[in-house]
Amino acid sequence: MDYIAVVGGGIAGMEAAAQLKALGLEPVLIERSEALGGHVASWHCLFPDLTPADKLIKDLESRLEGVDIQLGAEVSTLNPLRKGYSVVLSNGKVYPCRAIVLATGFTLFPAQRKEEYGYGIYDHVITNRDLEGWFGGNGDSRVPESPKAVGFVHCVGSRDIKAGNAQCSKVCCITAIKQAIEMKERFPGAEIYCFYMDLRLFGKKYEDFYIRAQRDCGIHFIRGRVSEVAETIDGRVQVKAEDTLSGKPIKVRLDLLVLMAGIVCNPDSEQFSKAVSMPLDDDGFFRSRNNIGDITRSDRPGVFLAGACTGAKTVPETLAEARSAALNVYQYLKGQK
Amino acid sequence: MDFGFRLSPSSTVDLDKVDLSLYDRLAELDPGVRTCIGCGSCSATCTASAYSGMSVRKVLLGLQRGRMQEVEKMLSNCMLCGKCTMVCPRGINTRRLILNVCRLYANEEGDV
Amino acid sequence: MIDRFATTGFHPFVLPFLLGMWFVLGYCLFGMIRILWELPRKDRRRFLLSLVTPKTAWKNIKDIFLNCLIHVKLWKRNPVLGYMHSSIAFGWFMIILLGHVEVFLFLPERIRLFYYPIFFNFFVAEGESTIQGSVLMFLMDFFLLVILSGITLAIIKRFASLWFGMRRTTRPSFLDMVGMYSLWAIFPLRLLCESFTAHISGGSFLTIPMNRLFAWFFGNDLNYLPTWWAYSIVLGIFMFVLPFTRYMHIPSEMLLIPLRNAGLRVMHPRKGFARVQVFSCPGCGVCIDACPMSVKKENLKDCTVYLNRQLRRGNEKRIAEISDKCLLCGKCTEVCQVGVEGPEMRVAQRSLRKYSINPHYNNIQADPFIDALPAGTRVLYFAGCMTHLTPGIKKSVLSLLDKAGASYSVMDPDGGLCCGRPMMMAGRDEQAREMIRLNSEIIRGSRCNVLLLSCPICYRIFKEKYNLGNIRVVHHSVYFEELIRAGRLKVTRDEAVKLVYHDPCELGRGCGIYDEPRAAVSAVGTLVEAGKNRRESICCGGSLGSITLSYEKREGITRNSVANLMAESPDAIVTACPLCLSTFNKYADVPVKDLATVLDEKC
Repeated sequence: MDYIAVVGGGIAGMEAAAQLKALGLEPVLIERSEALGGHVASWHCLFPDLTPADKLIKDLESRLEGVDIQLGAEVSTLNPLRKGYSVVLSNGKVYPCRAIVLATGFTLFPAQRKEEYGYGIYDHVITNRDLEGWFGGNGDSRVPESPKAVGFVHCVGSRDIKAGNAQCSKVCCITAIKQAIEMKERFPGAEIYCFYMDLRLFGKKYEDFYIRAQRDCGIHFIRGRVSEVAETIDGRVQVKAEDTLSGKPIKVRLDLLVLMAGIVCNPDSEQFSKAVSMPLDDDGFFRSRNNIGDITRSDRPGVFLAGACTGAKTVPETLAEARSAALNVYQYLKGQK
Repeated sequence: MDFGFRLSPSSTVDLDKVDLSLYDRLAELDPGVRTCIGCGSCSATCTASAYSGMSVRKVLLGLQRGRMQEVEKMLSNCMLCGKCTMVCPRGINTRRLILNVCRLYANEEGDV
Repeated sequence: MIDRFATTGFHPFVLPFLLGMWFVLGYCLFGMIRILWELPRKDRRRFLLSLVTPKTAWKNIKDIFLNCLIHVKLWKRNPVLGYMHSSIAFGWFMIILLGHVEVFLFLPERIRLFYYPIFFNFFVAEGESTIQGSVLMFLMDFFLLVILSGITLAIIKRFASLWFGMRRTTRPSFLDMVGMYSLWAIFPLRLLCESFTAHISGGSFLTIPMNRLFAWFFGNDLNYLPTWWAYSIVLGIFMFVLPFTRYMHIPSEMLLIPLRNAGLRVMHPRKGFARVQVFSCPGCGVCIDACPMSVKKENLKDCTVYLNRQLRRGNEKRIAEISDKCLLCGKCTEVCQVGVEGPEMRVAQRSLRKYSINPHYNNIQADPFIDALPAGTRVLYFAGCMTHLTPGIKKSVLSLLDKAGASYSVMDPDGGLCCGRPMMMAGRDEQAREMIRLNSEIIRGSRCNVLLLSCPICYRIFKEKYNLGNIRVVHHSVYFEELIRAGRLKVTRDEAVKLVYHDPCELGRGCGIYDEPRAAVSAVGTLVEAGKNRRESICCGGSLGSITLSYEKREGITRNSVANLMAESPDAIVTACPLCLSTFNKYADVPVKDLATVLDEKC
């Protein structure tokens, strides 16, 4: 039987596999970790409607009935065949595949790489993912019981060539606003600060969310990138930035600092690109055949791309691309016959 | 004709009249200076900002808006420590920029 | 020995040599007087005094003998190259010396003639064979053979420098080529001359068989005069072009060594000591392979050897470019056989620049800083600008101080003044001195005993340029190592962890601190070494020394430095400089940590 390999069990892979199954094909969903859902599974709820993330994952899972799912397995080799590839997994299984859908996603920027922000050094500095985990009920000793002041630093590892990523991560601005609103709702007495370079709120209803943060939650938006974080004697964190709108340097003491770690390419995408001799884009992500009209097809016949493996994406964009990739596969196989 | 009063000078920056030759010369020497996004990291981290309001961001802006006196004042306390270069997310070589402004400044003003 | 030209003691063929000799001696004498004239008065006195001080005078003789003739430094670095250079230099020296001995022994009345010792075999006939004579002739032949072996190596090296471990060398200029070919020709010609005349003037194991062979082959004596002419002409050419070629380093170095031994520093970018340095550069190009920027082809012509070349040519545009680009890591000086001070020369060139905005700090007062410090501070910790961007270092240093029970305070808890070194690196001394003055006031005002620094950039200037009286200036690597040895810091050692130590330029080559950080690393883990280490460690590429290298252009340098550190696949890279730390952190695949952090984790 000829399979379609779907590499990566995040939301892109899940959606693509579900669609392929619905189109009557035989997808095999390969996921490195022991659970499906990828990054979204570690999120508590999603902007802009505050939809619980696990609801989305459950919906996707329910449509995967009958799909061959290989958890805890990595692709160890890809051997080109006359038509398609032979995919060898780390658990020893071999699948002859007519096509491959790469849905390998992204990596969250390791915030300790920006040492000046003190992640891993100071007691009360966490990342956006840590905060989502805390929202989801995982205890975190770094989050104080009743913080009086909380700060969000946008663009940590995004738009920063020193961090190796010059691109905008697209979702951090709106995520910061979402998290700021959620923090304000939990701690109505706390002052919340967002330190941004530019606010990029481009999607449907994002601007409404911004207005809500300003008007209903009184969140302070400060246009200036944080340059240094220091720890005070009482264990709080002191943030230094320039308030570029007033042109004055400012500092503020906070009980919790949240770093909006950005979306960077997967470190092993290079291996993959070599295995199928498909060049990477200069941002380190996979390169689409065409960034406007053909984003889900690669330069290699039979290799398709879905979701954040080609760059930062929102959840709806990822899902739409996954469906599009599935259709591409269907048409590709039809054309081959 | 004397109306017996004067209008105070406008604070508007008239882009038609701004002399950009110094800025253009700097950009020619290092095109990176044109990539500033005004994030303020350099000013926030600056060792000298407490003493003179030094801000590389404002220096670059001042050069583009013809506010030369402010530029000169800001640069007069710079210690060239290099922190601004370290934090710039665009990788602008701010130390080189500062030295170039200090060197080329007078040529633009035509004095010294 | 019988003087064949007893009446005149002259033959016209010596003229090319004689003119060349006079020219080069005159040139060097004039140059030396000019250089001494250019020295600042204080330096000149110091130099002249050092010449008559027995200790330095002896050191001068020893250094000139060991470096100029034997090339000891080169032997240590590369024995083949060492043999090549010392065989030519020492062999030639011995031939000249033995020539003088011969004249002195056999024809003492001719000792005043310059050319007699050189062309001795032309002017004499061997009357009777003596033991002295044959020993001297044996030695002459022996050293000639030694030189010829060196010349052979030099010719091979010219066409296959890789065999000698040099990946890149300089391309010689036209006059360099003229000088080089004439130098190569001198000794084979001498062999021919002496062989042709060996049946008249005597010879030894090399020249006599050659003489027999030539006699059998050519059959008459008519050949010998043209070869002596050729020998003299080649010597003359070599000496005429010498001042305009890289071979000028031979006489220059003999002046450079005493000047350096007198403790002089580059004061003027072009004159005096700087000029001697430029002319002492042999143009060998060892600095090209050593330079960390050489990993990129575009930087190949920015090494010290090219700076010296451009300085000789007076190409101001290139001088400025080369001077501004350099990271000032000091590795070229470390590998340089002559000891040309590349970084100092470049900083001096930078100081030539005229600025119309000149920062000053007279609106900054020291008092508020002093008032903010608690009384009774014993250890004053100055984090410095860069450490504020690597808070991990600051936190670990303070934590270690707490654990050692030290009484300390932080001089710049919320940012302070810069130490002045970055400004000094840009060639702006006046501004740097003002910062030094302000910081000195603060430090003296704190009444501390120890000034603790975690940044080698600060440490170097505090050590070299600050005058803090009895206050001990110490880098944290040395201080914590002492505390460990004294038992005030108890650390646990994990042998399974392999740690490589990176020598920061300013701490290692800048201040000579290599062993203490290694001892400290060994106290917590297994120390492994980088491919190139200690004096030859490779700059991280983040140095503030370079003014023009952009961020993107530094990546290759950093990656090369990281690769060098990974030679023994360590588990982590340990360094002792905030700038190295943040630079490596961007590209290293293993964790990069400051020494203080590594110690604090195990304390």
